[in-house]
Amino acid sequence: MKKLEFIYEDGAHKWAVVARDPEKPGHLIDTNEYLVLNGSEALLADPGGMEIFSAVFSAISAEIDPYTIRHLFASHQDPDVISSLALWLDFNPELKCHLSWLWGSFVPHFGGTADTFVAIPDEGATLSLGGLALDAIPAHYLHSSGNFNLYDRKARILFSGDVGAALLPPEESSLYVENFDRHIRHSRDFHRRWMGSNKAKLSWCERVSRLDIDMLCPQHGAIYRGEDVKRFINWFADLDVGSGIRD
Amino acid sequence: MNSVNDTISSLHRVVKANEDIKKVIRISSGVNLVALNAMLIAKRSGERSRGFAVVSSELRLFSRNLDAAMNGLGELIFSLVRDAAAMQRQRQQHSHFMAVMKTNKSVRKWAEPTLARVEARMGVVEEAIRRDWHRLRLQLNRVLQLCESGRSLSRSAKIEAVYGGDMSTTLKQVASQIEGTVDEIFSTLKLLRMQLAD
Repeated sequence: MKKLEFIYEDGAHKWAVVARDPEKPGHLIDTNEYLVLNGSEALLADPGGMEIFSAVFSAISAEIDPYTIRHLFASHQDPDVISSLALWLDFNPELKCHLSWLWGSFVPHFGGTADTFVAIPDEGATLSLGGLALDAIPAHYLHSSGNFNLYDRKARILFSGDVGAALLPPEESSLYVENFDRHIRHSRDFHRRWMGSNKAKLSWCERVSRLDIDMLCPQHGAIYRGEDVKRFINWFADLDVGSGIRD
Repeated sequence: MNSVNDTISSLHRVVKANEDIKKVIRISSGVNLVALNAMLIAKRSGERSRGFAVVSSELRLFSRNLDAAMNGLGELIFSLVRDAAAMQRQRQQHSHFMAVMKTNKSVRKWAEPTLARVEARMGVVEEAIRRDWHRLRLQLNRVLQLCESGRSLSRSAKIEAVYGGDMSTTLKQVASQIEGTVDEIFSTLKLLRMQLAD
């Protein structure tokens, strides 16, 4: 069963991740769900697919009152990101789902009403979580054409969605990147195939290199900390993306 | 919530019924053409086929009524598909919250109210599905009654064909064609009614 682990704590301001589900069926990609808490409000970033809802819900509910979750943030439209939407709305119909305007009429096929969605414009936006500013940072075409990361200036954490993702073998299940060179082998093919634009990639690298980031948190794989954050950005800048088709 | 009747709400069952209805719609569109053909032949045969012409005209009316009745069945099937799909979705949601209920007590308390809401919704959809099936059976009975009148007409056409003089053989062929088509519709609908009665 998935478990909630706190990765940042500063009083009532916390980040937690629900990761590594040993009971997950092998045909489903493993995902990380991030919970940002600030006092009595919480935001769940990339709540995950329908098939893992019960595991995510149980992991969160075991630690906090799930009614504190007022916001969902969907980095993009993929089923492993947001297909659990209808179930979350069953639990709390008042939830707001923040996502790119581009997917505003697509994601409702997973559930929700016109009142559920808060459209993020292409240039990004700042969300308020009980007074805490969370910046939706554009990451378009990485890999989705309407794609956002979520940056917490105070915690210096960047939730990077699919950027930084790694498809890790079971024996490398550490929550954090422990050995960058070994870890990045599991990222290379993923980024070459899923990220389609070198121009978009360089634009993202330039944008996020200006941010103070202590942790870069992808939706799949392990979390980059400290110097590994810069290492990853440099590695990504040099990678020829859109080149992952096997001959 | 195991009380939900799997069979009633099964999308598979709806699809099967719909296939039979589509088959009848295909056959019934032929009745109209056969009846029109019969009218034209009767007209060519003149005064001697007056009786056959009257029956043919009635058969065309029967064909139009059958068409409308089959459309009614189609609408009911659409409603069933919608409700069965809604039930399937509710079931899926139910199973996800049931999985949460298998965890510890402190987690269960958060899922219980949602589970109750999902179950209430399942009850409403289940009731709608029961109503849909009931209406479908009633409509099917109406269509079968209509088909009985169609069968009588086709028998009358066969009798009237005998008085068709030198056109008698052609009229008999047309009358047999009509009878065959109506019988096929009738037996398909009877089979469908039997399946729905299970």
